[in-house]
Order: sequence, then structure tokens, then C-alpha cells
Amino acid sequence: MPHQCVRCNTLYDDGSEVILKGCSCGAKLFFFIKKGKVKEAKELTSEFKLSFDEKKQIEKDVFDLVGSDIDSDNPVVLDIESIRVLQPGKYELDLVHLFKKDPLVFKLQDGKYIIDLVESFQNLRKKK
Amino acid sequence: MYQLMKKFVTKVFRDIFSRKKHVKLGLYGPPNAGKTTLANRICKDWLGEEMGSVSNIAHETREIQIKEEINIKSNGKELTFNLVDTPGIATRIDYEDFMKSGMDEKEAKQRAKEATKGVIDSIKWLDEMDTVVVVLDGTKDPYSQVNITIIGNLQARNIPVLIVANKVDLRKSNTKKVQAAFPQYEVIGISAKYGKNIDEFYEGLFALVG
Repeated sequence: MPHQCVRCNTLYDDGSEVILKGCSCGAKLFFFIKKGKVKEAKELTSEFKLSFDEKKQIEKDVFDLVGSDIDSDNPVVLDIESIRVLQPGKYELDLVHLFKKDPLVFKLQDGKYIIDLVESFQNLRKKK
Repeated sequence: MYQLMKKFVTKVFRDIFSRKKHVKLGLYGPPNAGKTTLANRICKDWLGEEMGSVSNIAHETREIQIKEEINIKSNGKELTFNLVDTPGIATRIDYEDFMKSGMDEKEAKQRAKEATKGVIDSIKWLDEMDTVVVVLDGTKDPYSQVNITIIGNLQARNIPVLIVANKVDLRKSNTKKVQAAFPQYEVIGISAKYGKNIDEFYEGLFALVG
């Protein structure tokens, strides 16, 4: 299952080391794309021509959403089927996916790279 | 050391047995349906204080709000619950909609982000609920994706549901249409703002939980 860098749109294969370390362009946020949806994802990302600043803002917003620090070394992968950030401040949510408790975001750490969002939100609540 | 252990064990046991189980009552629905207005009505009626702020701009509630131990009485019966007011659930959140209401761009984008997180939080909290009141705007088309998804998921989780068609004070409201959309549930038309039919709502709550 490929991952696409939010900033430079480069596609990486599943399990690629880049996803653990961050993209060569320096970004650490990836869209997670299911097999067979690559074309749709490409169309989507080319449809909205975003400026560098807008992409940076999206990255910051998503890191805020999941309660992660953008300066930390842990990349974040956004499941494009559950949540779409079209531009900063414009979100589309797929409720059916969200209710199904499909993992929304995969946080990657030390080669272990699936942490369910439910867990990250619970951690977030504990912190408060 | 023994004394310390004894103290610890006694404390743990006391904590386990003294914790009262209260029904968690969640208010769910699309944005601007009147969830917080209803929460405020319930809190004012039974606690004498309000719960949260309301606004004409959608997504005013962006964090889960909890009021504990609300004790309501109706026809000699009593019910105690923890009231959970949730952010409105939406499929699309666009900061430009907030700007149309006079908000500046920065504030609108921040609100959009918080609202998105609010939707995710609302959904994550659903499993914690014992009973849910779905608050719908009675002036709007009930057959929306949001309404159907919320109610369908509650049904799948076997959570008891009461549907409220809010805003009966407005001429456009149509409780019958809401009832026709969800015939397997009891739909009560109320005005949370003015308290119309609120006793009927409390009775419905007793019927559901009690």
C-alpha cells in the first residue's frame, strides 16, 4: 500500500524506509493510499494546486489534530479514505470509515508503524 | 510495611465498591441542531446552571463537555445520569463557511481544525455511551448522510436512542417528517430554546432509561 508525501507528492511503497525517516524533501506527513486508489489519489492531489505554505500549514494542522509534535522525529500517515484535507481549513470526513474504527492515522515509530488513533486519542486525554 | 499494604488494599477496595455507576447520556447530532441548547435546558432545569455556550455559527462546541450527576424527577420516578454534550458531526468542514459569518480567516481556519478534531472525538466517545439522545434540527431534511450514519451506528452498537426534533418553535419545523424518516424510534418534537414539550422529553428519557 503506497504512501504519498503531502509536500512533494512523491509516492513510496509500503514498508519503505523513507516513511519511517521522513521524505527526502524534509516532510514527515504522508497520505496513506489503499491499493487501487492510487489513481484517485493522484487526481485529488493534482486537482488542488497548493502552495508550499499551504502544504506546510496542512502538515501543522494534521500534527495538531493527532496531538503530535511536528518537530518530533515520528512521521504521521493520514488515511485519505477517512479524512481529507483539501486545503488548510477545508476538511472532508468519511463518517462511515470513522465509525468503523478503521485506524485513521498511523504513527510511525522505530519500525513499528501502526498505532490506532483510538489509542493516541486516549493518550491525549490522559495527558490533559 | 504491613500497615502500608493494608491501607493500600483497603483503599483499592473502597474505590472499587464506592464508585457509583451512573448512566452516561450522550447528546449527538449534526452541527447547529441544538445539542448544547438542550444540554443547557436540562442543566438549568435540574442544576440551575448552564453547561456551555451556544452560537448561530456552526461548530460552537468543539470539545466533549460533561456534566456529572444530574438528577431528574418525573411522575415520582428519579434518574441520575452524567450528561455528555458532543461536538456536531459533519462530513465537510470548510473555514470559508465560518468567514461568511464574519469570522476572520485565521480564526475560521482554527475553528475548522478544532471542529474536525471534535467530530473524531465525538465518534470515539460513542462506545462510552449508555444512552444517546440524537438531536436533529426539525426544520431541516432528516434524510442526511450524517443523521443516517449516526443513527445506524447507534443501532449497530445496541445503544438505546431517543430522537429529538428540535426547533418546533420555528414555522418550518416538521416533526412528522423526522418521525417518518426514523419510524423505529420515538421522535419527540421540542424547542430546547423555549422549553416547549420539554416535559414530554423527560418522560421519553425515563421510558428509555428507567
